[in-house]
Amino acid sequence: MEQAIATYKEEAGELLAELETSLLELEETPEDNDLINRVFRAMHTIKGSGAMFGFDEIATFTHEVETVFDMVRNGKMTVTKRLLDLTLKSRDHIAYLLGCPIGEEVDRSPGDEIISGLRQLVPQLEMPQKGSTEVPAINLPGLSEEELSNECTWRIRFRPLPNILICGTNPISLINELRELGTAHVVAQFDEIPQIDELVAENCYIYWDIILTTSRGEDAIKDVFIFVEDDCDIKIELIDKSGLIDRDEGYKKLGDILVERGDLSPVEMQKVLMLQKRFGELLVEQGIVSPEKVQSALVEQQHVKGVRKERGEAPQAEAAASIRVPAERLDQLINLVGEMVTVQAHLTQVSMAGGDPTFIAISEEVERLTNELRDTALNIRMLPIGSTFSKFKRLVRDLSSELGKEIDMETFGGDTELDKTVIEKLNDPLVHIIRNSIDHGIEMPEARKAAGKPSNGTVYLGAEHSGDSVLITIRDNGGGLDRDTIRAKAIEKGLISATAEISDREIYAQIFAPGFSTAAKVTSVSGRGVGMDVVKRGIDGLRGSISVDSVRGTGTTITLKIPLTLAIIDSLLVKIGKDHFVLPLAAIEECVELTREDIKNSHGRNLANVRGVIIPYIPLRQHFLITDQRPEIEQIVIADIHGTKVGFVVDHVVGEHQTVIKSLGKMYRDVRGVSGATILGDGTVALILDMGVLLQSVEELENAGV
Amino acid sequence: MAKLIMTADDSASVRQMVAFTLKQNGYDVVEAVDGKDALNKLNVQKVDMLLTDLNMPNMDGIGLIKGVRAGALNKFIPIVMLTTESQDSRKAEGKAAGATGWIVKPFKPEQLIAVVKKVLG
Amino acid sequence: MSVAGITETVQYLTFKLADEIFALDVAKVREILEITNITKVPQTPDFMRGVINLRGSVVPVIDMRLKFGMSATEQTVNTCIIVVEVNMDGDTTILGALADSVQEVVEMEPESIEAAPHIGARLNTDFIKGMGKVDSRFVMILDIDKVFSSNELADLGQGSQSSDKF
Repeated sequence: MEQAIATYKEEAGELLAELETSLLELEETPEDNDLINRVFRAMHTIKGSGAMFGFDEIATFTHEVETVFDMVRNGKMTVTKRLLDLTLKSRDHIAYLLGCPIGEEVDRSPGDEIISGLRQLVPQLEMPQKGSTEVPAINLPGLSEEELSNECTWRIRFRPLPNILICGTNPISLINELRELGTAHVVAQFDEIPQIDELVAENCYIYWDIILTTSRGEDAIKDVFIFVEDDCDIKIELIDKSGLIDRDEGYKKLGDILVERGDLSPVEMQKVLMLQKRFGELLVEQGIVSPEKVQSALVEQQHVKGVRKERGEAPQAEAAASIRVPAERLDQLINLVGEMVTVQAHLTQVSMAGGDPTFIAISEEVERLTNELRDTALNIRMLPIGSTFSKFKRLVRDLSSELGKEIDMETFGGDTELDKTVIEKLNDPLVHIIRNSIDHGIEMPEARKAAGKPSNGTVYLGAEHSGDSVLITIRDNGGGLDRDTIRAKAIEKGLISATAEISDREIYAQIFAPGFSTAAKVTSVSGRGVGMDVVKRGIDGLRGSISVDSVRGTGTTITLKIPLTLAIIDSLLVKIGKDHFVLPLAAIEECVELTREDIKNSHGRNLANVRGVIIPYIPLRQHFLITDQRPEIEQIVIADIHGTKVGFVVDHVVGEHQTVIKSLGKMYRDVRGVSGATILGDGTVALILDMGVLLQSVEELENAGV
Repeated sequence: MAKLIMTADDSASVRQMVAFTLKQNGYDVVEAVDGKDALNKLNVQKVDMLLTDLNMPNMDGIGLIKGVRAGALNKFIPIVMLTTESQDSRKAEGKAAGATGWIVKPFKPEQLIAVVKKVLG
Repeated sequence: MSVAGITETVQYLTFKLADEIFALDVAKVREILEITNITKVPQTPDFMRGVINLRGSVVPVIDMRLKFGMSATEQTVNTCIIVVEVNMDGDTTILGALADSVQEVVEMEPESIEAAPHIGARLNTDFIKGMGKVDSRFVMILDIDKVFSSNELADLGQGSQSSDKF
């Protein structure tokens, strides 16, 4: 835009030079119409463009001069020396105004002097009282239209001239514009299509009846047709208003509608009515009205009936469609449902122990209802994640322009639903990750070009369902992570051992280690790592996981896997010694036995042979330092953790369990491998294990050589 | 795919402003400096829409509109004239020549986009 | 007035840890529970006894005897859990504190409270607001927020390190 303004200044400069020449020539030949026109056009262009580029002072002033020359052009004034003097002064004043920065105070006095001088030259009657460049622009739909609160139904007949297509107007897009105003029913009329030998292919012979219910006024409808009103036959009639006291759902009879439209004469109507058949059929049978016209009238009848019916039910219907509820009330509901689930578990336990079939039946019924209640309650809190996405678009826009980078944002899956609390808690981590992508991931435009990439970088934000989780992907096509630098730094920090063979993914994961970020050098070299441990903590808090993929020079992809809800999960209840633990069911594949024999055969390594596949396992008993008697036969719960099969050895598998997740609170926030707690049917507390973190901490211990 | 719009105007600043505004809104733009230039280009290049000034040297807007409607390649495209308030008669002339709509100068970028969206449907 | 910060006559709940009597501002006390089933959280220091179910909420329980360097609390008929509201880094948290027995609620005037002696006390004096006197016996008034400040609980991480083997 700045460039266009600069060009305008240049152009205006040239026009002023031309103006000067013309004026001087005009002094020699004051009668030369061509010269007068040239002066007028120069003024006109300076004015018109001036207003467009924000030079309001120029536009206002030039308008006055232009008005005078318009009169000269029309022979209402003659060119005099005084006029030429003033016009030359005007030229100088415009040149001065051009030099003033937009928006700053300008010295108006020379201009006012010139204008009053010019006005004196004008014959009294001819001078308009006040000049103005305020040109009413066309009425654009949605801009000047004041919304009416009352809904009205309109009958519109839109009959374009046959040449509408050759004028570049697509009648269908006009009808679509009408549809955008409200609820519309459209019926096309074909009765004017001529015989094939008379038909001109480029012509439009169709016309349309539109019944439209809208809260926007008649002007909004007219605005749709603004460019074609002169060469179309457009009839707009009000046929129903919401203010009508008559709440009757019924509407006019078909015949009355057709007569009102002029498609049928009252006499013809009477004649047909005498025949005592279905009126519409008769009209068509008799060839009085075309089927399309009857169809159109029927549509109107249906439409208005529908509108009136809806209006009659409006108060209830609106209430049922959606209600606003304070979030804390929903939270309370979820808490109550949570307690209900706990009590129901107890009930099931007691009923099974009692063995009374009636009691068991009731308890099963309660279980079914509780599950439904739980699902419904959790569903209430589900919101599409899209609303957050739009906020990030803004972030990308602001931040990229601040940094002088060219970055587009693409989003995908905005309608993916997640628990309200989860969405709220995702905000900060996402801001962090996206900031990092923009700040360190995407290179400067020159660097991108040099690397043979388009100068525009792209940050992609997507969400999709995956089982009981949502995958959120943040991808950039920037420089990617520097594997070696991260590895070196992680070794230096003692996060990984120098000899350990670890995958790229695991190396990239180091950027989430606390303290990793503080090294400014790594940040600038690797392009990542500013406070990423905060992200990690946020995602852990949501029982989610993060994975990083990166290709040097091509970009980085960060994937967040987030559980759908924070409140209640399906899980497996297990026992070790006297303590109960809960394992989230989603990742669990199967349970197998582990005998003393098996342990002996594995020669001290924690590996189990499951149908020929070797699966490493973590003996939770030892890991948790539970010291009481170990049973003869233990159970391995086999889970799939990010594609790795791992077993968790427990004493005994109790069974599936509906787990209401409770926070362990601040005090236990740093405990690794335990993501929360739940209350069992008997009132005791069981811990919820985070199998992913357990695996990770065991791996770290092994890497550290313990 | 982005729609291609031609802006025909002898004023470079207006052309630039129009092109800038359109590009910002995701359209592709081809520029022409007068009616003749525009018609030459339109005879060989298919565009989705034409925005033309009325007062131009070599060939004015009316001539350009007539030329486009008489041609084949871009015969049915929407054509919007850029007119000024003093050109009511010219507006009618333009409509008769086959213009689809008009926009009154001076205009704001959002007015331009509203009109473009309207005629492109 | 002998101790800064204590200006009003306040009611205190007194309780016993081993043979010593301690006191807590009653405003901090929510309720007193009988000892119940405590679930130990693995890889945490010994003084963090675990969590209990308090009417549907999960509440951590601290063994104050271990915290104060005494031997672990042994369960008797008198053992109870004092549920307190603690201000932890600006947030109010509910915690349970194990006590050998709860004594009574007493009023103490600011004048009767003295600053804690810096020597001779077995406890970290940071935890003690002052020394009061009830029936001619000394009572240590605890600053419960300090006992449970996040710094004091920070050794949690070390606890998990040492027990992370299997």
